Amino acid sequence: MRTDAEIPFFFGPAGDLFGMYHAPALPARRALLMCPPLGQDLIRCHRLYRQLAQALAAQGMAVLRFDYYGTGDSAGGSAEVDWERCVADAAVASHELRSRAGVDRVVAFGARLGGSVALAAADRARFTEVIAWDPVLDGGDYVSALDALQVALRDDTERFTRPRSDADIAEQWLGFDIGDHLRQQLSALHLHAANVPTLVLDSLPSAPVSRWERIVSPRGAVASIVPPTPWDDLRRLESAILSQPLIQAVSGRLKETA
Amino acid sequence: MREEAHRFGRGNHLVGIAGVPAAATGETGVIVVNAGLVHRIGPFRLHVELTRQLNASGYPTLRFDLSTLGDSAATGGGQTRTQQVCADLDDAMNLLKARAGCERFVLVGLCSGAQNAHIVAATDPRVSGAVFLDGYAYRTVGYKLRHYLPRIADPGRWARLLRRRGSANGVGGKPASEPVFAVAPAPRAEVIADFTGMVDRGMKLYLVYSGGISNYFNHARQFRECFGKVMSHPAVTTRYSAESDHTYILTGDRARLLDGIGGWLTQNFPPAATGRHA
Repeated sequence: MRTDAEIPFFFGPAGDLFGMYHAPALPARRALLMCPPLGQDLIRCHRLYRQLAQALAAQGMAVLRFDYYGTGDSAGGSAEVDWERCVADAAVASHELRSRAGVDRVVAFGARLGGSVALAAADRARFTEVIAWDPVLDGGDYVSALDALQVALRDDTERFTRPRSDADIAEQWLGFDIGDHLRQQLSALHLHAANVPTLVLDSLPSAPVSRWERIVSPRGAVASIVPPTPWDDLRRLESAILSQPLIQAVSGRLKETA
Repeated sequence: MREEAHRFGRGNHLVGIAGVPAAATGETGVIVVNAGLVHRIGPFRLHVELTRQLNASGYPTLRFDLSTLGDSAATGGGQTRTQQVCADLDDAMNLLKARAGCERFVLVGLCSGAQNAHIVAATDPRVSGAVFLDGYAYRTVGYKLRHYLPRIADPGRWARLLRRRGSANGVGGKPASEPVFAVAPAPRAEVIADFTGMVDRGMKLYLVYSGGISNYFNHARQFRECFGKVMSHPAVTTRYSAESDHTYILTGDRARLLDGIGGWLTQNFPPAATGRHA
């Protein structure tokens, strides 16, 4: 791996978004924008995103990883994360990637809410395809799941010497401040199909594949990834999510459609 | 204040974010190293919040990934991990000196980060202070008394133990959390000698231990039980936060930790606006 081929930088109109550009090993004809998930999923997926970016750059794709405003190394506090801003940031990042790579065709990849952002930004960012790994389609269910995990965290005596109070855990999800605005935005989130081919990579445990039908376009597909990914397991909250099958699935798809 | 993204180091293999306050030159810089395998933003973005809060108080900072962690690569130089950590932190100090004119440094590390910070703090004269979060500790006699005596005296606990033994040898029981962070042990006498050497050469130390390591540390007195009289040295400040977990998942706990570090720094290393530190 050439370290000079991975370039950390800040970008965007205010220079407040952090990005890591993976220059392709060969002249690129396409590029991949990696939209991160939010909250603890972002941290858990960091290594996997880097591994995937390196694998695809070696295949000849220009790749950009980035952080939305209020997440990762980008400016802004965790309580300032805003869904519309995340979608807008994906479009800004897509523009930055086109400019750096000198290509027009940009595929988007995202895990969980990162997949949702990629789908929501598909038109504005002019993605040619979206690859979404276990995207969140209905924000209400997602919000309920996070609320339940936060309550379980309050009583987690493996983490705390004694249960914590309701006030201690209020207005947070698993380590991150959560504003009312984002809660409302995610509660109202109901994703529809993007106007581009969409591949859904499904690694959610025990749920029907049919749940993805409404976002998979006629030119799209659903592929299973095994084993299931432990997204919502409190005991593994601080364990990295790694998946060689996921890397193979994304790499394989991009080779097919090259 | 501006944040700068850097690729740096003797192998150009390290990645970090420098925070450089507009008027900061020649003052103490603060360097934050990885906690476990989490990349430079820290658990729940702890390192981002810490460095930005310190930047606002006038301290130049660098949060970065050690070799092979986060976005940093390996150098392939065949060094031991200790040699690599020393080389990485040497590169980090050189970067912050180049960007903000810092001559002396405070290192901050949580868990394995505390261990890595300790290695360099014990040997590098440019390090003038260190914040060790859940660093080295040992089960002392006091720990065992505090841990076991209440359990022995609790009849309910005996009843639960007997019930568990009677059930199918733990099959179907709740699995334990996967260990994610850990501090590899070092000989206690060696750690005490390191602490003593640090304060003898004028370093200031801030040890903050949490309830998240209650399997080997359970009381403020244990600092002294573990490390002896050096813990009473005026250059050493200790704090035991029983209610907090190991990685400060709750924002209130995290805010108290950051305020504590900020207050300790201001007291021991006043930033440029309030006068240069000794």
